[in-house]
Amino acid sequence: MKHTTLTFSAAVLAAGLTAQSAQAQDQIDVGLLLPYSGVYAALGNDIQAGFELGLAAYGDEVEQTFNLHIEDTEVKPPVGLAKARKLVLQDDVDVMVGIVSSAVLGAVSDIVAQMEVPLIVANAGNDDATGAGCSPYITRLSFANGQINRPMGEWMAGQGIETVYTLAPDYAAGRQMIEAFTAGFTEAGGEVVGSQYTPFQQTTDFGPYLTEAKSSGADAVYVFYAGGEAISFVKQYDSFGLKAEMPLYGAGFLTSPLYVNAEGPAAVGVIAALHYVPTIENAENDAFVTAFQEKTGRQPSEFAVHGYDSARAIIEAVKTGATTRSEIAAALSKVSFDGPRGALSIDPATNNIIQPIYVYETVEAEGGEGLTQRIIAQLDAEQMPPNGCEMKPIN
Amino acid sequence: MFHHTPLRYGTLVVLLACALYAAFAAGYFGLEILIEILVLAMLVIAIDIVAGFGGMVSLCHGALLGVGAYAYAMLAVKAGVAAPVAMVASVGITGLLAWIIGAVCARTHGIYFIMATLAFGQMAYSYIFETPIFGGDDGLGGIPRLDLSPVGLDMMDSRTFALFALGALILCYLFAVSILRSGLGRSLVGVMQSEQRMRALGLVTWRVKADVFGLSGLIAGLAGAISAQHILYISPSLLNWTVSGEALVVVILGGLGTLVGPLVGAAAFVLLKHNISEYTPYWHLVTGLILIAVVMSRANGIFGFIEARLSARSEAKSEKTSNAQSNTATETNNA
Amino acid sequence: MSGDPGFWILQTLNALQLSMLLFLLSVGLTVIFGLMHFVNLAHGALYALGAYVAATFAGMAGYWVGFFAAPVAVALFGILLYWGLIQRMRKSGPMAQVLVTFGLIFALWDLTRIIWGDIAVGIETPALLSGRISLLGVDYPAYRLFVIFLGGVVFAALAVILGRTQIGAMIRAGVDNDDMAACLGINVEKLFFAVFCVGCALAGLAGAVAAPLLSVTPGMGLDILIPTLIVIVIGGLGSLQGAIAGSLIFGFVQTFGAVLAPQISSVLIYALLALVLITKPAGLFPAKGA
Repeated sequence: MKHTTLTFSAAVLAAGLTAQSAQAQDQIDVGLLLPYSGVYAALGNDIQAGFELGLAAYGDEVEQTFNLHIEDTEVKPPVGLAKARKLVLQDDVDVMVGIVSSAVLGAVSDIVAQMEVPLIVANAGNDDATGAGCSPYITRLSFANGQINRPMGEWMAGQGIETVYTLAPDYAAGRQMIEAFTAGFTEAGGEVVGSQYTPFQQTTDFGPYLTEAKSSGADAVYVFYAGGEAISFVKQYDSFGLKAEMPLYGAGFLTSPLYVNAEGPAAVGVIAALHYVPTIENAENDAFVTAFQEKTGRQPSEFAVHGYDSARAIIEAVKTGATTRSEIAAALSKVSFDGPRGALSIDPATNNIIQPIYVYETVEAEGGEGLTQRIIAQLDAEQMPPNGCEMKPIN
Repeated sequence: MFHHTPLRYGTLVVLLACALYAAFAAGYFGLEILIEILVLAMLVIAIDIVAGFGGMVSLCHGALLGVGAYAYAMLAVKAGVAAPVAMVASVGITGLLAWIIGAVCARTHGIYFIMATLAFGQMAYSYIFETPIFGGDDGLGGIPRLDLSPVGLDMMDSRTFALFALGALILCYLFAVSILRSGLGRSLVGVMQSEQRMRALGLVTWRVKADVFGLSGLIAGLAGAISAQHILYISPSLLNWTVSGEALVVVILGGLGTLVGPLVGAAAFVLLKHNISEYTPYWHLVTGLILIAVVMSRANGIFGFIEARLSARSEAKSEKTSNAQSNTATETNNA
Repeated sequence: MSGDPGFWILQTLNALQLSMLLFLLSVGLTVIFGLMHFVNLAHGALYALGAYVAATFAGMAGYWVGFFAAPVAVALFGILLYWGLIQRMRKSGPMAQVLVTFGLIFALWDLTRIIWGDIAVGIETPALLSGRISLLGVDYPAYRLFVIFLGGVVFAALAVILGRTQIGAMIRAGVDNDDMAACLGINVEKLFFAVFCVGCALAGLAGAVAAPLLSVTPGMGLDILIPTLIVIVIGGLGSLQGAIAGSLIFGFVQTFGAVLAPQISSVLIYALLALVLITKPAGLFPAKGA
């Protein structure tokens, strides 16, 4: 991890150097709004690493140079808002990228709309951000909570799974993920026989919930957990021996490359759906995985790819001749390219990404070293319904 | 008993001058930081009243601030109440809640009091976090600011808002001073020094504690309503106990029971945090070490340390002259 | 939920497991408080340190090396802390102690981030305890039974040491009245030092025990602090009975709250804490001198 710190300071240095060497008019100022302290620090570091790789890989395609302004949002909405104001009003950035937590996104979205600065959301999945609360200045290059879970529900029902028990942390993202899954699963003929929401970030022992899930007699268990909770959950699920009688399915954050090594053999056999895994086979992903491993020594996570594709999207927008805030915002909603995740495009109705979803199983790597992801199915490009979004034109 | 020494007056004048200078000279981010300091300053005043003068170390004042913020937001956004009414109501609601918490916790002392207030604070946090009407973890947006356009002020302007927050802070400070100088404030100090003696004198000690706790809650509530208007968005993280913990640290770093010290502490803490986080994501380490160093130095915070040094010097001088008037004179010179 | 007795047996075991984990953590904190009147908020940070040390050693040399290395390493760290900070803060008020240890939480949190990074570290359940054991007609993970067993052993050992040995008598005397104990020729300072080290070792042990169940993250020490404080305050500061009673109450309320009243489960424990403090302001089993 020490080297992550080093790359962080190296990035700051590099940003400083480009700032000196570039001419002002040929320079695009990019504000990175990411958590570098608090529980999401690992995510912030991965997104930044991905973003820098994206700039390095595709930056040559345009004449402009990119000047990074890096701000730590922690996981606190007021801090995120203060930093966003700084980037917009003081540093005068042309575009902002980042936002891991949906609460920080909620705090920042007002100023984005008011000040008319394009924001590329590089993680936060709150459905409303590209639904009822959508804005022409907010473009999401990561995912919407419903986007991953709804097709997974349909797919699982198609696999002959009839009954499911669901578990998720008791907060907005947990509820959105499970509700979308339930909708997809029941519409395709499945039945959710029980569900429970666990106190968010206060649950360390999942034993009581696992015992309940077991006594429900469902065919399978479907969960959304992320970060430390995902690790605890997967390990405890395995220790109760539930995996054999009730297979574990989930939103793919459950066994993300960022956490799967800490989960160890307990994660083997877990089947999950996500918009990116490092084992996707295409030329863009090969290049990305190689570059990311060289830089960090790790497999890239879905968070890293959010950063990578965000950088690519900015470059694609600039390629069309967009340099001002409103030009970039307008161009971002028309972006489409083949990236590590496959063919991506932005839905002009909501500014949310349209992308394929991958169903993958965590398996032991050949040669016995560590774990890897075996892709079972690639589901069709998933487009979110407007969910009450009325996109306003850009002034 | 609280009284203004020349040093305290001097510091207040300097602080006010700095705040005014910042309000007019600072850039956008500077104004953000200034408002953050002003809100934190209100919260630490509220804590210093109960902790510094009543010995009631509270870990629920962050939650009280959050309650004020949520009360304002719910009234203004969901119930459509006019902003000035919502502000007054949110301050009142927070004060009432604080009075109840103070009354219930009044029987406990020391670490048990800390834990009891923690319990109530965390209850409020969990309740707001898990009740969908409050917006859950994603929080509530679209909060209006007070509309002062009839008097020609645009509150959406950061500078105007900073001056408004400064006015509120001055009001809070004067309110705190008047509480501490009142009979209630004197009784409170008496209760802190010896609860048994005060009880023997016929004082209903739990009432004194609860009343002061409630009044302090009014200040926390106002800080919350202003914080909600500043950010225009609130989330449950406002209520978490770590907010109280941090504010308590600021009070101690500044100087417990000096009222002026915590103001200095609030400014120092926020500036320090923003400056260190410019350079390293590990700013907790630096603040932690500074905290340890200050406490290990056995002074009553930064301000308490200066006060103690000055009064030691002036005492030495006043012994020579044995004249009370020259005592004040030297202190003035020192300040 | 069901009328199946196996379900309730399993939930009872879950509750016991959580209780014992909390007991390992809280007993060190409460005894340090009882004897020294010292509130060490950094106890949770020591637990996190134990988990990281265990994970590191387990990765290199297997689980059991980590299991034994963690308490030793944390005790050694405790010695440094004692000499550097605690000894100097002994005579300061509780407020100063709370603050110094609060600062220590911040500092240790970032130190673990600098040394071990932000990404969670994993630690495998030892092969010996990775299966399940049939008990009272239910299958239960062996490792969880081990945690219950270990908690029971530590409780029994401490009960014997405190109740039956001369050292125990000295400690009890110190808890009751340390000035008097010093007059009776007990080297109170030495006693404090020893108890502090044992308390730290127990925190390290708790970290090593919790690591295979949970994720080892920089924030784990802060997450566990509040539950631990609730346990010792409900139980009453400074007493072994208090620590075990508080742990059991917490474990059972948390577990059965999650099963029977999931809507209010996270408020439940705070409500109980408030209730205990209002009716018995010093907790259920306060130490005599405290």
